Amino acid sequence: MSTLKLEIVTPQGVIYEGNVKIVTLCGKDGEFGVLPGHAAVVSLLDAGTISATTDDNKEIVVAINGGYAKVSEEKVSCIVDGAVAITDEEGDLSASLKKAKELLKSAQAADTTIAATVSKVESIKKKR
Amino acid sequence: MASLKDIKRKIKSVKGTEKTTRAMKLVSSAKLRRAEQVAKASKAYAVKITEMIEEISANLAKSKDSLDNPYFKSVANPKTVDIIAITSDKGLCGGFNSQTIKHVNSLIEEFEKKGAKIRLRVIGKKAIGYYRFQKREMADEIEGLSSAPNYQDAASFIKGVVESYLNGETDKVVMVHNGYVNMITQEIRIDNLLPLDPDEFDVKAVSTSELEMEPDDDSLLEELVNRYIEYSMYYALIDSLAAEHGARMQAMDSATNNAKEMVKTLTVAYNKARQEAITTELIEIISGVESLK
Repeated sequence: MSTLKLEIVTPQGVIYEGNVKIVTLCGKDGEFGVLPGHAAVVSLLDAGTISATTDDNKEIVVAINGGYAKVSEEKVSCIVDGAVAITDEEGDLSASLKKAKELLKSAQAADTTIAATVSKVESIKKKR
Repeated sequence: MASLKDIKRKIKSVKGTEKTTRAMKLVSSAKLRRAEQVAKASKAYAVKITEMIEEISANLAKSKDSLDNPYFKSVANPKTVDIIAITSDKGLCGGFNSQTIKHVNSLIEEFEKKGAKIRLRVIGKKAIGYYRFQKREMADEIEGLSSAPNYQDAASFIKGVVESYLNGETDKVVMVHNGYVNMITQEIRIDNLLPLDPDEFDVKAVSTSELEMEPDDDSLLEELVNRYIEYSMYYALIDSLAAEHGARMQAMDSATNNAKEMVKTLTVAYNKARQEAITTELIEIISGVESLK
């Protein structure tokens, strides 16, 4: 199965770098999914979450407060201002969720965005 | 000739100074390592954002004949020039700040010769103090940002600058800071923040695949350029901080060495004085005995 290379960078450093099967981005005009072989696109990103399934079937969720995504056929680069990766470890989940909420609030995201993030994270929690 | 007691006191004080400078050197080297890491981490962002601007401006240039964007419009004879000077908040770092100020002054002179009006935007206590003393008017005085750079503050500062550029209040924005090369070398960096020079971006080296833009190209490029400028500002602050720690480390190292040297000469002087005192005393006793005979 073909994979996409996903990169998420902030001014503070690289948040995530790895191969994924599918990535869902929070575009300014709405959420959109990207599969390998997607047409080249540059999009503005809104505050929200980037979620992806890695090549070893792990779910990753990164909360962001806005930025850009550059999609090409085999690569997705996200340039964002601030990002919080919601980590896998059970213990850290609530802490990072709290941080993600703060980030979204500081970006003046709509309440619905925050609620969507929370529900996304909780659905991951249940899957594990 | 100073008395024994005086020399002893002086040795003690120099030793105290040596301790302080050595501690400051250690602190700086630890802080330098941290600042270096931050700078390295943020490098990835710079690479990505430059790439993106290149592609989008190439895309725009393809569809239109030239880049018709206020950010790229260069003015041959700027009427007003904003100079952003970044210095440290703290001293004791050798020629770090004076070098920056020297370069800023020569820039001011150069632009004033061409008849441009200068607006100074100063970051860091050291340059603020200097220009206050020179009674030069400053458009901005910012303290605390250069010793603890953070993205939000840097962005909100530069936003004001960009706005005044877009309003036509200024034609050119130049940023001067002392940048980090390695542990022992710093280098003055003069960046033309605005307008952007299209030649600096390698506009042509792009894949030919059509790029779709969401929303339209112009607003995307504008946002990106804004982000790029914000980032350049932030990076200059980090770079300057790393250089500051490097300069301080060096200055404190030579101060420690000087103190050591001074203790050595003072100890020699002390021993000499002590010997002299003994000799004088002996001569006194001997001559006393001689006179009794």
